[in-house]
Amino acid sequence: MMVSDPTTTRDRADSESALRIRDLVKRFGPTTALNRAGLELRRGERLALLGPNGAGKTTLVRCICGRSVPDSGSIEMLGRQLPPSGGRHELGFVPQEIALYPDLTARENLDAFGRFHGLTGGELRDAVEWALQWTGLADRADDLTKTFSSGMKRRVNIACGVLHRPLVLLLDEPTVGVDPQSRDRIFRMLEELWRQGTSILLTTHQLDEAERQCDRIVIIDHGHAIAEGTLGDLIASTVGANRRVVFTLAEACSELAGFTVRGDGRRLVAEVEDVARDLPGLLNRIRESGGQVSDLDVQPPSLHSVFIHLTGRELRE
Amino acid sequence: MIGTVVRVGLLRMWHGRTEILLTFVVPIAFFTIFAFIFDEQIGLGKSPRVDIAIVDEDSTELSREFVTALAEWETLRVYAPAGYQEKLFVFTAAEPARELVLAGILPLAVVVPEGWSGSLANPDAQPVGLQLLADSSDPVATQVVTALLRQTSGRIAAERGRQQLEVLLSLSPDEFAESPMSRFGTPAAIEVIDLFAADKANPVVSMYAAGIAVMFLLFGAVGNSGTLLEEEDNQTLDRLLCSNLTMNQLLAGKWLLMTLVGIVQVTIMFAWAQLAFGVDLLGHLPGFAVMTVVTAGAASSFALTLAALCRNRAQLNAVAVILILCMSALGGSMVPRYVMSETMQSFGKITFNAWALDGYIKVFWRNLPLADLVPELSVLAATALVLFGVGRILARRWENS
Ligand SMILES: Nc1ncnc2c1ncn2[C@@H]1O[C@H](COP(=O)(O)OP(=O)(O)OP(=O)(O)O)[C@@H](O)[C@H]1O
Ligand SMILES: [Mg+2]
Repeated sequence: MMVSDPTTTRDRADSESALRIRDLVKRFGPTTALNRAGLELRRGERLALLGPNGAGKTTLVRCICGRSVPDSGSIEMLGRQLPPSGGRHELGFVPQEIALYPDLTARENLDAFGRFHGLTGGELRDAVEWALQWTGLADRADDLTKTFSSGMKRRVNIACGVLHRPLVLLLDEPTVGVDPQSRDRIFRMLEELWRQGTSILLTTHQLDEAERQCDRIVIIDHGHAIAEGTLGDLIASTVGANRRVVFTLAEACSELAGFTVRGDGRRLVAEVEDVARDLPGLLNRIRESGGQVSDLDVQPPSLHSVFIHLTGRELRE
Repeated sequence: MIGTVVRVGLLRMWHGRTEILLTFVVPIAFFTIFAFIFDEQIGLGKSPRVDIAIVDEDSTELSREFVTALAEWETLRVYAPAGYQEKLFVFTAAEPARELVLAGILPLAVVVPEGWSGSLANPDAQPVGLQLLADSSDPVATQVVTALLRQTSGRIAAERGRQQLEVLLSLSPDEFAESPMSRFGTPAAIEVIDLFAADKANPVVSMYAAGIAVMFLLFGAVGNSGTLLEEEDNQTLDRLLCSNLTMNQLLAGKWLLMTLVGIVQVTIMFAWAQLAFGVDLLGHLPGFAVMTVVTAGAASSFALTLAALCRNRAQLNAVAVILILCMSALGGSMVPRYVMSETMQSFGKITFNAWALDGYIKVFWRNLPLADLVPELSVLAATALVLFGVGRILARRWENS
């Protein structure tokens, strides 16, 4: 297996895009699932499409792989305009559901989807063997997939979408419903592909996945991409470098200038540029107003705060 | 607790209204069909008109009177070649009429053999009875016509007897003693000649084998086509259509699989019928093969179209059960079509079960050559093509939403 140097891959990344999506609109009757959504997946990057339930992530992915026809907008892959369907040989797609034949073995599933992607003969055999090694399921190759744990099913599910070695890979919630170990394992698998030059777009509503496992993040809400960039970019353009300080009081208070009152009135939140310089002043003001601080928490800017800043709501797990 | 179980059950039914409606409609539809089949007015009671050919080899005044009287029965429809204008068509020799029965065009031919009236008038002559050339696949028609023959000949004989009695009464005692005793008073002799029964290789069971085989062919195909809906449900269809596979190839593959499975299913069924019940499968292999291929093909197309029409597996199952049972009832898979009224019989022709069964009967019962299967084969092949086309159009909904 050829392993290309990740640095050269990333040098190319800025010059060319793997996917460029503009103004995508998709309506289902009265619901507007995509509302002028746009994003760019650069070559050799891992991009997280982050959004709450119903944001339109799946719809966007389905439009890219030609399973849904957008009402308007354009999709370019590797520099060429994609037709509404077909012409997507360089694309790999891993659905949100376990899209396998439960009554076939892992090997039979891989073999079948390899064939559907046009692999034959030795090439097919090699791809299946590679996939079994890659997923760590070589010893379970001849068991029916319905007997697998959900993490194992997820791995086979991903493998079936990458047998033909696509240049661009779309994964719809690849880690939904699996435990942390299985998630790590899946991300190690994806990293291997990424090192070999595959551009990866994955949807998720797990902040830490987007933060740690991806190069850039697109936040989508109500069918529209509301922010795009690296975590640093997003923080700088939204919450800034300010730290959030959360004070927990012994007794509830009503209002205090410079603070936001949260929850049952026992939590005060303030934003500070420099913790060491500003903290004593804040504590003083609370004490002067009669409050008694029982606990305090300093939060660095995170994707979580970016998300709340942009959408005005928490992202449920 | 129990109340909650009931409540949940009712709620789930409420959310699946279409399927539930169908489960209620199935028995009603089914009952209605059977009611029509057996109903006094539309079905058996106003018995279907029986097509017969009349052969008069005797060609005497009496035989002509007899056939004219016979043709007057409402229940009978006397065969006449196309373009024949006269009131009544009568064959003068039995052979062409016999051919018609053998070919399955008519269930019966009535033959008045030569010497029939002579034997009636002369008690010393060898008795000559009426003959009924019958296709025993339709026992009802045979019985109806036998009864009519008995009545008609009885009436004519009674009339003749009365005339003769008058003549006799006008005779002197000497002349009376000289006159021959006639047979006019004795009941008419009718000989039913079953043109097929002599052939042990074609037991009636071959007809039932075909009926059951076609019905299960349909059920089997629908079970198989339902995989499309499962694939849609778990996004395997998404994955398939994102690969190099096109919708045409996918449907063609499913169709081919269902057809092959169907062919094997029907073949096993007939092989068993041969082993256990003496149906002569090996003796009718070519006819069986072509009939089975086109029937299985038509059943597969039907199943594909149905799957493309339904939103989920439960709906498919409900719709399939109602349709297949109705088609089987109408098409003769459950009750032979000859017991149905004419309206029902022609109505049954809209189902491809009827065409398939007619084809199998031609092969196994009538021993007809392949050329005679052309109408059935054409209808079934056309059904397969048209339904596949419809299914393909309906499948557009899967291509992109
Ligand atoms: N086939 C469809 N018919 C009707 N509405 C649809 C269809 N597919 C999606 N929608 C609607 O479009 C919106 C976006 O759905 P989508 O599945 O893209 O969200 P998502 O971001 O993938 O959510 P999740 O995180 O729950 O997977 C939702 O309001 C959904 O109800
Ligand atoms: Mg989704």
